Amino acid sequence: MTLSLVLQALFAGVTNGIVYALVGMGLSAIFKGSRVINAMQGEFAVIGAMTTVLLLTKAGWPYAAAIAGGAVAGALVGAFIEVAFVRYMAKKSASEDSFLLLTIGLALSLSASILYFVGRDGHLLPPLGGEGVLIVMDAVIQFHALWLIAIGIGATLALRAFYHRTTIGLSMMAASIDADGAATTGINVARMRTFTFVLGGLLGALGGILVTPLIGVDYQLGLNLTLKGFAAAVLGGLTNPLGAAVGGLTLGLVESLAIIGISSSYKDVVAFSVLIVIMILMPQGILGRAGRRGG
Amino acid sequence: MKFNEWEERKKMSVSSFIAKLAGATALVGLSAFGVQAQTSGEPVKIGAIVSATGAGAGLGVPERNGLLLAEKDINAKGGIKGRPIKIIVEDDASNPDTALSKANDLIFGQKVQALLGPSLTASTVAVGGVTHANKIPQIAFTGIGPAVERERKCLAHVLPPQRLNATALLEYAKNIKAAKIGVLHDAGYGNVVMAELKPLADKYGVKLVAVEKFEIGATDTTTQAAKVKAAQPDAVFIIATSATPFRNVKQIQIAQPVIAAIGSSSYEYVNAMGPAADNIVIPEFVVGEDPLPHQKAFVELYRQTYNSTPKNYEAAAWDAAHIIAAALNKAGADATGEKLCEAMKAPYTGVLANYDFSADDMTGIPISSFVFSKLVGGKYTRTPFRVAQ
Repeated sequence: MTLSLVLQALFAGVTNGIVYALVGMGLSAIFKGSRVINAMQGEFAVIGAMTTVLLLTKAGWPYAAAIAGGAVAGALVGAFIEVAFVRYMAKKSASEDSFLLLTIGLALSLSASILYFVGRDGHLLPPLGGEGVLIVMDAVIQFHALWLIAIGIGATLALRAFYHRTTIGLSMMAASIDADGAATTGINVARMRTFTFVLGGLLGALGGILVTPLIGVDYQLGLNLTLKGFAAAVLGGLTNPLGAAVGGLTLGLVESLAIIGISSSYKDVVAFSVLIVIMILMPQGILGRAGRRGG
Repeated sequence: MKFNEWEERKKMSVSSFIAKLAGATALVGLSAFGVQAQTSGEPVKIGAIVSATGAGAGLGVPERNGLLLAEKDINAKGGIKGRPIKIIVEDDASNPDTALSKANDLIFGQKVQALLGPSLTASTVAVGGVTHANKIPQIAFTGIGPAVERERKCLAHVLPPQRLNATALLEYAKNIKAAKIGVLHDAGYGNVVMAELKPLADKYGVKLVAVEKFEIGATDTTTQAAKVKAAQPDAVFIIATSATPFRNVKQIQIAQPVIAAIGSSSYEYVNAMGPAADNIVIPEFVVGEDPLPHQKAFVELYRQTYNSTPKNYEAAAWDAAHIIAAALNKAGADATGEKLCEAMKAPYTGVLANYDFSADDMTGIPISSFVFSKLVGGKYTRTPFRVAQ
């Protein structure tokens, strides 16, 4: 095993980890704010990426505007789902499993709609920073992957600042910790729940747009991302969106190092064994306790 | 047009609808054919099962196109001794259980004379149980799979056995004098080809210096590709049904020649490769951009009808329909399954390959039927390299 191989594995692990983290953060933001396990988080990524692709190639928008459009599409779909389905079901005191079934159903319907309207073909987006690569001791990383890592870290820090420094963020956190208490201080709890879905949609879409230049997007990418994002979120502590960032990076690195350390045939066995050990030692997730205090 | 395609696909699950659809397209399409022959009387019914939806749709959709085109062609040329042929196409949703129930319906409900398909090996094995027991001739759009298929002597295959695919890869490696090979393969199709490749490699004096696996549907295989790169091979084999490993190999700047198995030859994957779809060599059969002389008529007709370029799976289905039509013409439209089976067991020159269904593997494709194409800027070009028998 050479140093350059280890470095290449680290590059791949961090890049994948950030993608898992973005999907996982959205998932846990929604769970934190509404107690809904969102099985369609990966679909937000597909919606964001597909909208960007369509705005760029069909509508001829400039790339930056198309990216913004894709992110807004994710946020709007998030808001729509809360207003049209979750709010109504919450009024009827639906159970957690009903919400899970709702989001599984939505995931399948959205995937089918994308197949219907956009078709089965995969699409790529132009890489940020061009086709260039950075070569460190024979290990290669795309400029785009560096952008992805930078934006991912930026989004994580921004999310932390949002929850701790802004009135809306603090209100969302209050509503999630004690809904009745928050309502008595004048916080509109229902609206805060809509905001958590907007946030979840936005983070998911951002992850999807950023990953598309590397892996491409098609109608069936969503489920794959949801599963990895869910693992990241649980690993980090489901109630703490920042935990998902740590969980995502851990998952990405463990997967990638398992390939060079053991064998690609046993990648998932090794990766998930490590995750099981972490969950036994830290049943609340890596940052789960911090999440209880408010992240 | 995408929208219409999907509409069509949706209708496929309703068998009566597809029968009408096939009938309608046959009528509309007649004008595309020069010389018309009259067909009359009770149609000769042939059942077909493809994976038009689900994971195998990348195969099933082209196959359905090939079948419907063949149906038009056969009827335009006089059908089966003057009677029209009717191919009833069903979708198994890439699921062997569904394939089995569709096969039962086609055989016992619709009383078809023979069965074409399915698209996937697992479904082929499942359906083979019914056709074998009831002596119904079957022509599958798969390469011969598990050992049980060798006992099914009336189940022909129009795609090469995986051993032949592995041989074709090694022949090209030998041609470019690559002695050290790195392999990237997926855990499904790739595993099966790999099992055949390993023992053959020794025979070719080829050393497999790195063999790296990834799961089906993996979104990133960079680390596996890096391990292959670190082993410093002379060439890299990619055996998969996805575009991901091709992109990763280019991303980490593997400069060695890449040779890919036929599984990733469809345009769906090539388009998803983006700029990575360059300089990849694929041992396959039909290069629509530059067809062999005996493939030209089919490619032209396909282009006129569908406004796109056909590849291997379209041609395989076209061949399967023509093979059963030829057997019916030889044995008679009302021949029993056993008679049809006997009529089928002969050499046949198809668009995809030269078959010999009397061969032990019920396929009989010689290695000389392979052409070796190279992707240049996302388009296929045919290389002059061929393997002599």
